[in-house]
Amino acid sequence: MNASAPFDQLASIPERIQAEVQRAIQRSIKGVEYLTTSGPSLGSTPKDVLSVRGTMSLYHYRPLADEIYRVPILIVMATTNRGYILDMVPGQSFIEFLLKRGYDVYMLDWTAPKPEEKGLRMEDYVLDFIPYCVRRVQEDSGEPDVTVIGYCFGGVLSLLYASIFHDGPMKNLICFTTPIDFREMTLFQNFSDRRYFDVDHLVDSIGNVPPEMIFSSFEMLRPASRAISQVQLWENIWNDDYVKSYRMFDRWATDTLPLAGEYFRAITKDLMWDNKLYNGTMSVGGHRCDLAEIKVPVLHAVAEHDHIVPYDAARHLIPKVGSTDKEEVILKGGHVSLVAGANAIRRLWPKLDSWLGGRST
Amino acid sequence: MADKGNDPWAMWQTMLGEMEKSFNTFAGKTMSSPEFSKAMNQAGGASAGAQKQMSEMMEKYLGGLNMPSRAQMVDMAARLQSIEAQLAEIKSLLMMQSGAAAGAPGAAQPPSPRPPRTKQPPREQQK
Repeated sequence: MNASAPFDQLASIPERIQAEVQRAIQRSIKGVEYLTTSGPSLGSTPKDVLSVRGTMSLYHYRPLADEIYRVPILIVMATTNRGYILDMVPGQSFIEFLLKRGYDVYMLDWTAPKPEEKGLRMEDYVLDFIPYCVRRVQEDSGEPDVTVIGYCFGGVLSLLYASIFHDGPMKNLICFTTPIDFREMTLFQNFSDRRYFDVDHLVDSIGNVPPEMIFSSFEMLRPASRAISQVQLWENIWNDDYVKSYRMFDRWATDTLPLAGEYFRAITKDLMWDNKLYNGTMSVGGHRCDLAEIKVPVLHAVAEHDHIVPYDAARHLIPKVGSTDKEEVILKGGHVSLVAGANAIRRLWPKLDSWLGGRST
Repeated sequence: MADKGNDPWAMWQTMLGEMEKSFNTFAGKTMSSPEFSKAMNQAGGASAGAQKQMSEMMEKYLGGLNMPSRAQMVDMAARLQSIEAQLAEIKSLLMMQSGAAAGAPGAAQPPSPRPPRTKQPPREQQK
């Protein structure tokens, strides 16, 4: 008899009791194993480090196809997330999907800024890190054109970059769940309500802003969710597959990066309070950021039930960019499942491939 | 078709969906009030001030014990990281140079030759 057989399919009461006893034994053994082993290896698609500059890292993933498209892709990660969320495990990785479909993929990834990097400003991200990485991609690939994919706030940085460097070398722009109208970012608006939130005091006091302060809204909700998930884990700890999937989710949900203090101050004041990107008054380092200046093909993937970047915050991207070749894809699901849920694999990834393939030659 | 009950990815997707759903429900209810914002920011502000004071006190205390503080350990880690970064940069430049020199007579092949950039999309995707 197998402890992993569904409980209600077991015929007799003795069999059920025996199965439950076996599960109890397995729980004890696996419970110890859980505490003494690490989780599954995430972000394991082979890659080379091209450059590391403090909080910024640039990777090149090794091609997995015999023939690749001419135009390389640079993925700009959100500054709060680690790049492995797009490269979960072999067979279930967005990066691996792109490589197998013949794309040459680079990633601009972030690590936690060090205390001496608290002075990094929006200018450093938009006018230095991204242009530097684009140049390195051009050098490494030998190609003049680059497609940029911006994930969440990486999409905002990519848009700011694209609006300033609108003469090139960006060939295509793809954004995932990218907010434009920050008034509609209801959770974060409430957290950063200027009547109560003293961003200057916070940044001047602690420098870099730890994730638990940025996402204290999430943290306050976590106890309930976490308690439930811990109970579910214990109930299913005899099941290796459940434990594996739990660990993948747990690492995703808890691994958030802090933000450089000055950068956080600019996000709060310019975007959350003054909504400058939506109003068309945003500038970075004296360069005006007018989304209408972006003329390259643009694809924007948004989630219908995204409570982190609600659709009302994201829907303005396509109308505001100056491109004629532009498209919005709306998927069911939330912020996270957009890039890793079943819909992402069935609909979004193939859609992105069919959109980008013809624009990558 | 894979058995959903034994497929870790399917389980993970289900878990993701459920967690996201419960988060969204809680979030919408709990955090839409100005009282919540006020209370949270008062707590946050107080904690930021306390954290700064505590950190300064610990620095002095550890200095007295002749022990490195967290900030000094972070500095040390930063120096190591900077050395690693320079090594990565040198490695990447060496790889680029060996690739460029590969065409020269007698030059060694680059470590991993890149596939040709000649791929064309399937006919239905062509722009």
